[in-house]
Amino acid sequence: MRGLLLAAAVLATAPLYADYTPFYLGLLTEVLVFGLFALAYDVLLGHAGVLSLGHSAFLGVAAYVTGILLARYRLPIELSILAGAVGGLLTSLILGLLVLRKRGVYLAMLTLALSQVFYYVVLMWTPVTGGTDGLGNLPILYLSEPLGWRLSKRPITRYYVIAIAIFLAMLAIRHLLRSPLGRVMRAVKANETRAAACGFDTRRVRLAAFAISGLFSGLAGALLTVVLEFVPIENIHWQMSGSVLIMTLFGGTGTLLGPFVGAGVFIWMRDFLSKHLEYWEVFVGGAFVLIVLFLPDGIAGTLARLVARRRPVPADPAESGPPEPERLVKAGARAGAADGRLLESRGLSKTFGGLTAVNRVDFQVRAGELRSVIGPNGAGKTTFFNLLTGVLPPSAGRVLFKGRDITGLPAHAVSRLGIARSYQVTNIFGDLTVFENVRIAAQSRVTHYRFWGNADSLAAVNARAEEILRHLGLAPKRHARASELSHGEQRYLEIGIALATDPDFLLLDEPTAGMSPDETQRTAAFVRRLAGHVTIVVVEHDMEVVMGISDRITVLNYGEILAEGSPAEIRENADVRRVYLRD
Amino acid sequence: MNGCILILVALGLSIVFGLMGIINFAHGIFYMLGAYAGWLTIQLTGSFWLALLTAPAAVGLVGVLVERGVLKRIYGTRNANFAGVLVTYGLAIMIPDLVRMTFGRPGKPFAVPAALTGSLFRLGAIDVHAYRVFILVVTAVLMPLLWLLLNRTNLGLVIRAGTSDNLMVQLLGINVARTWTITYALGAALAAFAGVITAPLVAVAPEMGGLVLIECFIVTVVGGMGTFLGVVAGGLLIGETLALTGMVYDVLADVVIYLAMALVLLVRPRGLFGQEGMSEE
Repeated sequence: MRGLLLAAAVLATAPLYADYTPFYLGLLTEVLVFGLFALAYDVLLGHAGVLSLGHSAFLGVAAYVTGILLARYRLPIELSILAGAVGGLLTSLILGLLVLRKRGVYLAMLTLALSQVFYYVVLMWTPVTGGTDGLGNLPILYLSEPLGWRLSKRPITRYYVIAIAIFLAMLAIRHLLRSPLGRVMRAVKANETRAAACGFDTRRVRLAAFAISGLFSGLAGALLTVVLEFVPIENIHWQMSGSVLIMTLFGGTGTLLGPFVGAGVFIWMRDFLSKHLEYWEVFVGGAFVLIVLFLPDGIAGTLARLVARRRPVPADPAESGPPEPERLVKAGARAGAADGRLLESRGLSKTFGGLTAVNRVDFQVRAGELRSVIGPNGAGKTTFFNLLTGVLPPSAGRVLFKGRDITGLPAHAVSRLGIARSYQVTNIFGDLTVFENVRIAAQSRVTHYRFWGNADSLAAVNARAEEILRHLGLAPKRHARASELSHGEQRYLEIGIALATDPDFLLLDEPTAGMSPDETQRTAAFVRRLAGHVTIVVVEHDMEVVMGISDRITVLNYGEILAEGSPAEIRENADVRRVYLRD
Repeated sequence: MNGCILILVALGLSIVFGLMGIINFAHGIFYMLGAYAGWLTIQLTGSFWLALLTAPAAVGLVGVLVERGVLKRIYGTRNANFAGVLVTYGLAIMIPDLVRMTFGRPGKPFAVPAALTGSLFRLGAIDVHAYRVFILVVTAVLMPLLWLLLNRTNLGLVIRAGTSDNLMVQLLGINVARTWTITYALGAALAAFAGVITAPLVAVAPEMGGLVLIECFIVTVVGGMGTFLGVVAGGLLIGETLALTGMVYDVLADVVIYLAMALVLLVRPRGLFGQEGMSEE
């Protein structure tokens, strides 16, 4: 809120400092437009964790659409701007659909190369776009009636009209980032695998981030045409993508005002430095390298962090206690298939090259059961888990859940059916708070893509997250970053994330790995008590734990089921003894 | 011919990406610096052949400086791969201006070496220039040597092992830091070598790095990032497509290779020779 007031005050008074000279007012307006572009860019980079080098296409397509509608078809300016923004949106959807099969820097490279297609289209389509000369011949620009204000050669009017538009866009982006969808974007950025295991279709979430970023980049492109009253071909050249990246990082990612600071610094460098220094790019490039190396939060980001450090963190009421599993699971665990089998695999196999990790496994778990899967190292336990939860596609065989074939379903679809899991190596949203870790998982059962309303006002989701934290004994740490918890606390948090998705079926991959004997004891008791409420399969190494808590045990060896039975039967089984004692 | 040069430049990009996970935006700079180093050598000594040695050596040294001085600081930080893209991009903006400061804005003429001027023979109606044959032969000799280096030597083994599991290689007690430096310098030297042999065909200019960089991106995407064979196939395919469509209409050539890339992405997202799970993160 304070940031917004500050922004409004700066926007309203900025022309004062520019002495109302048309030249400075023009520059100032340009800074605002590029600030919006950088903010839109940061929606993708800072909030969804996607590095794009294709934003020149979003800005450029919009700038040309607006320019062509104004110059050739004399459409009203508002309509032309809107059409430009939609052009940016559509371009981002096309690009997003093509590149989102990839990740990370590889994706970045693809966006760069694909965005150049748009550049060449503009270059070749000279009759319409003006080619290398750019697109000119714009009419004198007026707002439509009833306002009817003239914008061309009226720098003050133009400044305030654009400033208001940009302020509204800022409000909209701020709203989007706080919406349930905005939170899912942050979760995907923090840990994509975990987000998928909570039921979020991460590719679609990233596509949504692309679309938001494209829409507002498009708005910036359309406004840029209005400001310059000309469309230079540089708008759509890939170096524009580089420029917006530089602006965003100069200011700092993840903040609302940073991109505007960055745009200001960049344009200052471009216009003033280049006047006095012939080789100004040396300084832009050099400053950029230095900022990436030594000031990763950018200028505004670093300032914001310094201010935040002085603000005290609100203390939490110390309320802790042992976990209470009975209240952690939603009442009335849903029934399995008619014959009582909740999960079943038939002839399930997985080969990696010549290695068969899982070999024709037939496996059934009844609703309400606590099953342990044990076996020597390399027996294929974790691979088997990954096949059941859709992390890996099987080479052969089927997986049925509640009688329904779920073979080959992606991880997010498996989660939505009511299967949750923890991982052998702790897998949480390290950058998010403890509360947000559980809250986002609970949100997955309510809404994924809602882009309006504040995520924090989803009362049922908050209550559920609070309840889980309280019963796990993590409530006093709800504001801590998850990565700052101790190892044992992180393991509990991970179980909390899994339970927040209200599963019927829970898979725990070595829940006691790396725990002290004391913690192991507590965790074993906890899992045992949880078992009355949700069906559980545990992969575990600690034989004492396994024998103590399991209803039944399955022994895997070389990817095949060696034996299955009650703990007593397994203890007496000759094959199992041979594998465990003599191997 | 186009393809040969693309292969040489793209190979360095691909090896560096495979080992270090960094998309090296400074790679085009090494190509450009190579051409300038070659030009300088010829100005001083008059020998094109000497330039073929000095340019890769000098630019390889620049590569060492960049790796030790800049990239080293980002290893192990969060989002190191992103930061790698960013700092090399910063260098790619900076260095052309430094070159303009030193050598001036206009390009430098770069003559075809005397021994290789003129046409070698006629093929139908087409003159086959000796210099183009030279490029073909040099690439044909260099490719198997590089393949042997990557596949039959200890260094190559470490590079390839590091590509698939860096931590494990370090745990085996191998000095990965030095391997990274060597690899980065090797990539830079290869690009510089390509820069020298291209120089007689194009103008030597500060901007020459930017274009070749994007073409190399396309080559590696089409062929499959981090694969030797993929780069060779991608380089030939893209290079020849550029040359053939370029005869018809200049701008069309650029559009065609981008569309080719989009097509490969849709049909085979890993590239023609890319393997499952490789280098996608």
